[in-house]
Amino acid sequence: MPAILKKDNLQQLLASLSQAYKLVLPVRENGMTFFRPYQTGLTIDPDYINTATSPKEFLFPQTEKMLSFKYRESADISITNEEPHAEKLAVFGARSCDLAGIAALDPVFGGRFPDPQYSTRRDNVLLVGLGCRRASASCFCQAFNIDPLACAGADIAMIELEDCFAIEARTARGHAQLANFSQLLEEDHSGGVKTSLSSAREALNRSFGSLPDPAGVKDFLDRQFELPYWEQIASRCLGCGICTYICPTCHCFDIFDVTRGKPDGNRYRCWDSCMFADFTGMAGGHNPRPTQKERVRNRFMHKLKYHLDRYEIGGCVGCGRCVEKCPVNLDIRQIINDINKLQGVEVNGQ
Amino acid sequence: MSEKKAHQEITAKLRAECKRLLETGTVHTVIGFAPGSMPGRTVPVFITNPQEVAQLTWNPFCAANLSKYLLDHHQPGGKAAIVVKGCDSRGIVRLLQDNQVLRDEVHILGIPCRGQYDHRKIPGGLEVEETEPLEQGTADVAHPELHLEKCAYCENPTPVIYDLLLDDAVAPSTDSKGRFTEITDLEAKTAQEKSTYWDDHFSRCLRCYACRNACPACTCRECVFDQFDPDWVSKRNNLTENTAFHLIRAFHVAGRCVDCGECDRVCPVQIPLRLLNRKIIKDLDELFEAPTPGTDLNVKPALGDFTPQDPDEFH
Ligand code: SF4
Ligand code: SF4
Ligand code: SF4
Ligand code: SF4
Repeated sequence: MPAILKKDNLQQLLASLSQAYKLVLPVRENGMTFFRPYQTGLTIDPDYINTATSPKEFLFPQTEKMLSFKYRESADISITNEEPHAEKLAVFGARSCDLAGIAALDPVFGGRFPDPQYSTRRDNVLLVGLGCRRASASCFCQAFNIDPLACAGADIAMIELEDCFAIEARTARGHAQLANFSQLLEEDHSGGVKTSLSSAREALNRSFGSLPDPAGVKDFLDRQFELPYWEQIASRCLGCGICTYICPTCHCFDIFDVTRGKPDGNRYRCWDSCMFADFTGMAGGHNPRPTQKERVRNRFMHKLKYHLDRYEIGGCVGCGRCVEKCPVNLDIRQIINDINKLQGVEVNGQ
Repeated sequence: MSEKKAHQEITAKLRAECKRLLETGTVHTVIGFAPGSMPGRTVPVFITNPQEVAQLTWNPFCAANLSKYLLDHHQPGGKAAIVVKGCDSRGIVRLLQDNQVLRDEVHILGIPCRGQYDHRKIPGGLEVEETEPLEQGTADVAHPELHLEKCAYCENPTPVIYDLLLDDAVAPSTDSKGRFTEITDLEAKTAQEKSTYWDDHFSRCLRCYACRNACPACTCRECVFDQFDPDWVSKRNNLTENTAFHLIRAFHVAGRCVDCGECDRVCPVQIPLRLLNRKIIKDLDELFEAPTPGTDLNVKPALGDFTPQDPDEFH
């Protein structure tokens, strides 16, 4: 049963959260919304549908130092590993798609060989989900059966209603934190939340455009690798890093050393993108993905097939960021639709 | 003529002409715009079959500059047709001057432009009801307030180079003062204010390189930002590296940037890159009376030309 948080009390809740955690929240900046650190008086962008960049950066930062090394002729190379980052962080206002994105990253970094940096950050994060009020023209989470009001995976789930928030703890960490706020919360004696919730859901559902149907896509891609179709869409792709960098589930990185003329230096890992021409470049100059066709195919295969093969979790959560931002309108929903059409041709053609 | 009629007529003419060009074998490919997947968007298409010209469209959401696609679609001994607005046509001049593409490999279909809408400015986001009339030209009045910033003082609404013009020429903006207003405003800031302004923007940069990849002046096959040894600019995303990236790129396109605004349009975090490049265009204008690069095929880039009569020492 969710409790009620009056809208007037939101500021108080954010202030208290920021006592226990480093708090980031969706803030309006330069006409877009980004997760930014809390400061007294700062409040969430009341109109945001989703943030311009995804919250993955808080678990898997774009730039991360891994170790530093020193070399002296008189001694061996000495290596100092970077301590995992154990700061307690609260991400306030994560949408359901982005929470699903984190669930898609978890097995990548937390599998048989847990990544110490990611795992430590993950263990120290409090995820406060906020259900959506309306979908944008590019949102399609529902196509992957993600419920934009459910905030699955959040420690604390909230839904904004007309005059209040419905709020509920989902995990032990969430319960512990919510207990600190009990004086800000009220019980829903009249049962009004339930009625407002169902009208909120109706309004939300109405705001979604037509959804692509990914049901048969993986099956088709399992059989089809060489499709002339990939060449068609690759010809318009710019090979930039927009779609992968803003995607909540993309997780490729590059590891390199930075030395400044001395044999001492640091090792970093930074985001990389399969859409970049040099992504799979090998020493010696060979590149197994020599053209944008192979790169584009890789991206969509990863989203719609490989991630499912490996983890039985979809690689796309329908957040729509790439749809919104691709400068040449390469729309993954369109690609799902096109694949369905190709599949029809395959079936009827046989 | 109303917006509506203009768009419909241009689209019809465009399709007929492309059909003819493909059927007669004059061109092997047509690079143009088709309706996009969402209201307010168009998508670049590459048509080789004359039966498919009905995909082509012309509306005020054809903001992309297609000229850079010529790098992949030009073929020796054949011609690619390409649809360009005035600002895009400067990009073609850029590619021709840089010998990236030869004049006889390209057939330029010029469309005099009445301004392109910025889909981000459509009130209430991308609601179909609002964009449809604009897109389909059923809105009888133009909405200059929704135009991309660059359209307000466009120097070349009519393409500067073309094989065929699909409509009557459109006169350029007469507001020669307004052209650099944003730059003079920036110049008026103190050094500290300028630094804060750009730090704020550069720290947001994702280093996705969309600005570079869309730019018709960035044609290096191996870009300095992709080099690892030496790593002039590392992949680390921080203000120092990001600033280095932006300043190096600005200087690499100095005197060659045609002010098409693609870098600005494609940036996912809305960094006002045109201001950076326009500052250099303004300086070139003041120092060398250089026109906006790409305006005239016969005027070499100010920083790419020399004369032995130059009174200054060559440093
Ligand atoms: S954002 Fe679009 S143009 Fe850029 S790499 Fe992705 S699909 Fe290609
Ligand atoms: S592929 Fe696109 S829509 Fe899917 S999760 Fe990534 S950014 Fe979102
Ligand atoms: S397009 Fe924008 S975010 Fe991407 S590298 Fe250029 S300035 Fe940075
Ligand atoms: S720098 Fe920007 S405005 Fe200049 S030519 Fe390149 S993309 Fe166009």
